[in-house]
Amino acid sequence: MFYRRAGIRHTRYEDERQLFPLTFDRVLIIAILVLLLSAPFWVERLYLVGYMVPWLIWSGAALGLNLLMGGAGQIHLGYGAVIGIGAYTSVHLVRFGVPLELAMIAGGLMSALIGSIFGAAALRVKGIYLAMATLAMQYIVDFFTQTKIISGGSLATLQVPPVSFLGISLKGDVATYYFCFGVTFLIALYMLNIRRTSFGRALAAVREKDYAAQILGVSTYRYKLLAFWVSSFIGGVVGSVLAVAYLRAISPDQFHLELSVQLLAMVIVGGLGSVLGPFLGAALILFAPIVLNNALGAAASAFGTDIPIDLRAHMPLLAYGLMIVLFLLYEPLGLAKIYDNFRKYLLVWPFRHAQK
Amino acid sequence: MSTSPTMMPTPQKPIVLTCHDIERSFGGLKALKGVSLNVHEGEIFGLVGPNGSGKTTLVNVVTGFYPPNQGTITLFGENITHIEPHQIARRGIARTFQNLALFKGMSVLDNILIGRHIHMHPSALGSFFYWWGAQKEELANRRIVEEIIEFMQLQDIRDEPVEAVPLGLQKRVELARALVAEPRFLILDEPMAGMNQEEKEYIARFILDAREERGVTILIIEHHMDVVTAICDRIVVLSYGEIIAEGEPRQAISQPQVIKAYIGERAAQRQMKGAAI
Ligand SMILES: Nc1ncnc2c1ncn2[C@@H]1O[C@H](COP(=O)(O)OP(=O)(O)OP(=O)(O)O)[C@@H](O)[C@H]1O
Ligand SMILES: [Mg+2]
Repeated sequence: MFYRRAGIRHTRYEDERQLFPLTFDRVLIIAILVLLLSAPFWVERLYLVGYMVPWLIWSGAALGLNLLMGGAGQIHLGYGAVIGIGAYTSVHLVRFGVPLELAMIAGGLMSALIGSIFGAAALRVKGIYLAMATLAMQYIVDFFTQTKIISGGSLATLQVPPVSFLGISLKGDVATYYFCFGVTFLIALYMLNIRRTSFGRALAAVREKDYAAQILGVSTYRYKLLAFWVSSFIGGVVGSVLAVAYLRAISPDQFHLELSVQLLAMVIVGGLGSVLGPFLGAALILFAPIVLNNALGAAASAFGTDIPIDLRAHMPLLAYGLMIVLFLLYEPLGLAKIYDNFRKYLLVWPFRHAQK
Repeated sequence: MSTSPTMMPTPQKPIVLTCHDIERSFGGLKALKGVSLNVHEGEIFGLVGPNGSGKTTLVNVVTGFYPPNQGTITLFGENITHIEPHQIARRGIARTFQNLALFKGMSVLDNILIGRHIHMHPSALGSFFYWWGAQKEELANRRIVEEIIEFMQLQDIRDEPVEAVPLGLQKRVELARALVAEPRFLILDEPMAGMNQEEKEYIARFILDAREERGVTILIIEHHMDVVTAICDRIVVLSYGEIIAEGEPRQAISQPQVIKAYIGERAAQRQMKGAAI
């Protein structure tokens, strides 16, 4: 088939350790990048802004969360709050006249700082207790973002002034799209690189067997905390992108538990520890409810019955829950694993029973 | 496979590890009751004893997993009694586990590469700027890892997921992971458990080579007495958390109290009588 391992002989470690050692994977990834880069020329504006931009932003956020969950094996139920911290920090700074580039980094640093303070406390416990501790972070941060100084109150919205990035105004749809694409591209590249360095291996060791990691010289606490730090930094940066490029006016309720659950679902459905996963997960979690809602509406009018409005409003959450449960039961490594199985099947085709 | 006389430890050889009066209990169970021993540089030191006699517990105490209730541990002249395992690793100890402790979901190569952790400088930023950051270090360490892969003859399975290779090979991967850390003191907890004769001889060869070529001091827990007598310079026999014999392997394991500990009092008496006739 198209996927071929046979005949590929790397003679240098550099070649073997490149991101995509197989030619077909390289061709595929270039094709996808070309499609994404040319999207403004062939995707309708409405879809570009309404679908592609949020997909890219949520993918970036899910990548950040996946570093912690899939990479280091630590659960986080308050990632929405981490994103909120980044969003509010950078929006305030931008309103203050600070350039967006700096505000983004400051947002990331603020999220990383607060995120790892909570992380340091939360990491004293494991498993279900860690889940509870991060959930507590969500509610504590929610409490503070609802105060007058930070957001202006629980119902207040904070407008984002017009901003530009590296001299290019982000007023237009196309510029906004490329801005989001660039940020998510960098995050994805970072995740790919982490996996082939000692940093990523140390995280994986902590995730798989902490006592074995310890005796190899890996301080498990330090690396869990580092994972919190980096993951929260990414969350903060994505938070500022979300605010300036998509929401354009922020209010506290946008960063509540729903956002955390949504991201958690993206990571699990997409594939823990995978770089492709968050993109697939984000697409499914963002768009499945829309499709479902439309289908439900169509069905309702076809049968002439009325579906209660609050049922339709709660449909998405119901769908996330169902998807998380189904994936945990049947494919714990998510959509990315399904793709991977398919790829491996083609790699060894026509020998069906080979492992790799 | 007898060891050459030049490798026999002489009293002048410096001491690598000293355990002094180690006690450790789990609830009411005293797993170690005042164990003292010295391991000398360049030695292959055997730790034997019946099941549940406290061998693994002693190793866990030495490597910092179970802090002792009493006693001190000295490594290369430094007191390491209450130091954490990850810091002990940086002082030149590497070990393998009785029940394999490999990292599932990663390739054999990546599993061995983790063994280089203490020699590398992992950083989040270095990974971000891979091509200007981590790459150089990755490649340099890859070369060292490849040397060990060759030494341990693991070339063919390098890219396999580690859980997919047979158990005997997994044991070898774990030994390779310990060796790439370039330890000065290596602790092996039953490296040959569940192996056939041929595989056992392989591992015995690797252990002897590791000492000869790399000058590693080795502490080995092993149940196979043929291996113990063949490769160990000196042994200690544990029973119920106490040392009941020590010295040259053949001599130590033929002492009556050792036979008794292994096969029970009555059987021991019978065997002693049989031997007398
Ligand atoms: N973590 C623990 N908690 C409670 N008891 C333990 C623990 N670890 C070991 N023990 C007990 O301590 C005693 C010594 O166990 P240890 O594992 O050191 O024996 P061993 O000599 O390594 O035996 P084997 O040859 O079977 O590996 C046993 O009675 C065991 O049940
Ligand atoms: Mg044991």
